[in-house]
Amino acid sequence: MTIDMDKCSGHARCYGTDPDLFQIDDSGYALRPGFEVPAGGEDTAREAAASCPERAITAQ
Amino acid sequence: MSVTDPAPSRCPAVTYSPHEQRPVGEWTAFFDQLRAEAPVVRNTFANGYYVLTRYEDILSAYQDTDTFSTQAVTVMEPDPSYRWIPHMLGGDEHRQWRRQLGPYFSPRAIDGLDDRIRSRAVGLIESFADRGSCDVITDFSFHYPTTIFLELMGLPVGDLDRFMAWEANILHSNGSTPEEIAHNRTTAMAAVYEYFGSVIADRRRRPGDDLVSHAIAFKVDGRPVTDDEVLSYCFFMFMAGLDTVAAALGYSLYHLATHPEDRARIVADPALIPSAIEEILRAYAFTIPARKVTKDIEVAGCPIAAGSMVQLPIKAATRDGSAFASPAEVLIDRKPNNHIAFGAGPHRCLGSHLARHELAIALEEWHKRIPDYRLADDAVITELGRSSGPDTVPVVWAR
Repeated sequence: MTIDMDKCSGHARCYGTDPDLFQIDDSGYALRPGFEVPAGGEDTAREAAASCPERAITAQ
Repeated sequence: MSVTDPAPSRCPAVTYSPHEQRPVGEWTAFFDQLRAEAPVVRNTFANGYYVLTRYEDILSAYQDTDTFSTQAVTVMEPDPSYRWIPHMLGGDEHRQWRRQLGPYFSPRAIDGLDDRIRSRAVGLIESFADRGSCDVITDFSFHYPTTIFLELMGLPVGDLDRFMAWEANILHSNGSTPEEIAHNRTTAMAAVYEYFGSVIADRRRRPGDDLVSHAIAFKVDGRPVTDDEVLSYCFFMFMAGLDTVAAALGYSLYHLATHPEDRARIVADPALIPSAIEEILRAYAFTIPARKVTKDIEVAGCPIAAGSMVQLPIKAATRDGSAFASPAEVLIDRKPNNHIAFGAGPHRCLGSHLARHELAIALEEWHKRIPDYRLADDAVITELGRSSGPDTVPVVWAR
């Protein structure tokens, strides 16, 4: 997963879907620009990525 | 409506008054129709402004704040004498305010408010649950976010009636003539400024754990914020946080009153409520924000000159079939639902997480007590062509 940190505007929809993987800072913005998805978590991660109103999240 | 066809043909002129009251749903259908006609239209009403109608263009505009600036945010006022904070700030100044406000409006901060929000919802619903009827708007929608606002700003709940009166005069045209409406609005605005002026002075002497006291401690460019800046912020919180939640709640209960199958599903499974709210926010999106264009641009073949006002109606975007399948259908378990009901880009609604909690808690507590209700037989519900909700949602239920 890659997050365009310039595009993130703190909607926190990804966090709402998958709070363990999509960590947020104290203001509710993405904490990490990129991370590996653990095996078995792909579907939830993809759903979280698709919930971003800014389209800031890319799954690879 | 009248559509003429001037050059360039990519930008037809239309003429309509956004202040016109129409039966509920008709304004939404009107914006759907505008989208079907052209990606950009020019409304010749008042001083004239452009309206973008497609999801892609509207999303891009919200994300490009250098071009689509918040220095003016209402189409009727291209050169405002006021600067609401943080909404009408730009660039780094806006970022500094948002960074300092963020922690008080973040998902985790709002989680901590749930008990207080819930007790407000329960108190209000129980005040009319035995009656067998109510007007969602006047009995519930307006009081609810206003009491929560008072609590977050550290203001006495006894001031509720004063706030409700100011809200009516400032945010809902109150009066029988345009002159009287304008006079009531100006008088109430002055009263709100005066009220918050004394609150700020009081908090400087005795800071508490509230959104006014926190803002007083902010710094911009390394200097403390001024009284005027905090005043502008307090006023904007009042403008932004009350009618919006009220409208969303009004549309939510209107939808559920008129769609028993959706209502039965959330009563049987309250875990559906958050996704139902997202879908209602999408399908019944009601804010019609505007921006001022800072340079000559072209959108979908339509030239727009620097200094023009452009509307970015959320409902035009979120009901666009190129972004959402069956856009006019309300699917309370729609996935994904990455709508922009709270806007997009750096000015994304600061209160979005608070609003979501207020709405979810209101619907949970309502349906625990009033699971089965319908619109009153004589219900006549209207809405406006500008940011607003239903004017009334009269519902009845078995006592």
